[in-house]
Amino acid sequence: MTELRWIWLIARKDLLLELRSGGRLLSMIAFVVLAGFLFAFALDQSRVAGRDVVASLTWLTILFASTAGAGRIFDSEEEDGAFRHILLTPVSRGAVFLGKASANLVLIWLVAALSFTSLNTFMGVRSPGSLAAHAAVLLPGTIGLAATGTFFGRMSRHSALGDTLLPVLTFPLLVPLVYFGATASARVFLELPWTEISGLVRLLWAFALGSIAIGAFLFRHVTDE
Amino acid sequence: MERRPRVAGLALVTGGVATMLLVHWMVAFWVPTEASQGVVQRIFYVHVPAAWTTFLAFGIVALASAAYLWLEDERADAAAVAAAEGGLIFGAIMLISGPLWGRIAWGTYWTWEPRLTLTLLLWFTYLGYFLIRGSVADPRRGKRFAAVVAVIGSLNIPLIHVSVSWFRSLHPGPVVIKPEGPTLHPDMLATLLTSLAGFTLLFLGLFSFRYAVERLGRRSLPGGAAGPMED
Repeated sequence: MTELRWIWLIARKDLLLELRSGGRLLSMIAFVVLAGFLFAFALDQSRVAGRDVVASLTWLTILFASTAGAGRIFDSEEEDGAFRHILLTPVSRGAVFLGKASANLVLIWLVAALSFTSLNTFMGVRSPGSLAAHAAVLLPGTIGLAATGTFFGRMSRHSALGDTLLPVLTFPLLVPLVYFGATASARVFLELPWTEISGLVRLLWAFALGSIAIGAFLFRHVTDE
Repeated sequence: MERRPRVAGLALVTGGVATMLLVHWMVAFWVPTEASQGVVQRIFYVHVPAAWTTFLAFGIVALASAAYLWLEDERADAAAVAAAEGGLIFGAIMLISGPLWGRIAWGTYWTWEPRLTLTLLLWFTYLGYFLIRGSVADPRRGKRFAAVVAVIGSLNIPLIHVSVSWFRSLHPGPVVIKPEGPTLHPDMLATLLTSLAGFTLLFLGLFSFRYAVERLGRRSLPGGAAGPMED
């Protein structure tokens, strides 16, 4: 069986489990909507235009929601020892990582779409710019978030500090991603030409591909069961 | 503690302290005052050596951590944790002395320019190194997780080095290691090099002591928390 098939099977299994239980996805969705709700009340919209801040708020919401979800990626398998059984199959640790990260990515895409829609609605943004350009910015950003969250989510699963450790480990590494992503999204909202955005998107792709490669390479060191 | 590392550590720390005393005299009474920034520029003789020592320490952590992941040799992990502690301390000196200098030179304690930001993130990454290490119940797993964090965090080090050249930055560029040679006044260069030597000796001395204590602590643990290659 090829590695790609393994990756697909692991991702499919994770997504089916998530759809049947729904706990993680539901909490991420509730978080995104409530965060947007709170941001709308926390900002004085008579002084601050929603369009000026919605890009930053979208990225922060996606970051926080994905970090909250990342701490639960391995929970369902860990409790009944199923993850140990996956590791006993003749599948490489890199493929396990990519499968888990792919399933995590699908959930983050849902969160990103919802976050984008709800924040634009709550902030009263009428012309958010090109949706295709927003998707082109969010795609590499969410890949980076999914890879980083999956990798460090595995570590925090074994830590007594649990979910409180995950931001300490991931946020210092994710600062460049959030900076490039929020700046690129802000330029899309301002409807600037693609030439002023493409450089940032290339940096986001570099971060995304780098985090996938490093995660797949080092994942065997965080799965030692 | 074994005699050899104790003597080596003592010699290095003594040399480091003596050199630091000399540096204090040079900075206070000998080196000329820089024309544009005035007396505050003397922070340079603390800030730059602290930065150099921090990157030396984190470089050792990264190499030792990579060696630990590869060989599972307890000596590599002991070296990594000893260097990481030194890196955090000298990193804190760098991160405190930099803003004190920046307040006068740039008019602000902090600015989000690339080198400062990346250095602060590197420091937080190595803070995470200790948090993950200490919070995992299985010590062997904790060491391996910490080593992974150190290796990933070290990718930041070359980026910090080139950030002054790659991005528009308030941070001064290199004044010593340049293709055309150092552009510092010879007395300033002598003071800087003496301070670099003092900080390096002090770090290496503390590192030797800490490494020896770490090894001693592991040997004395009941049942041995040591790995398969522990001697």
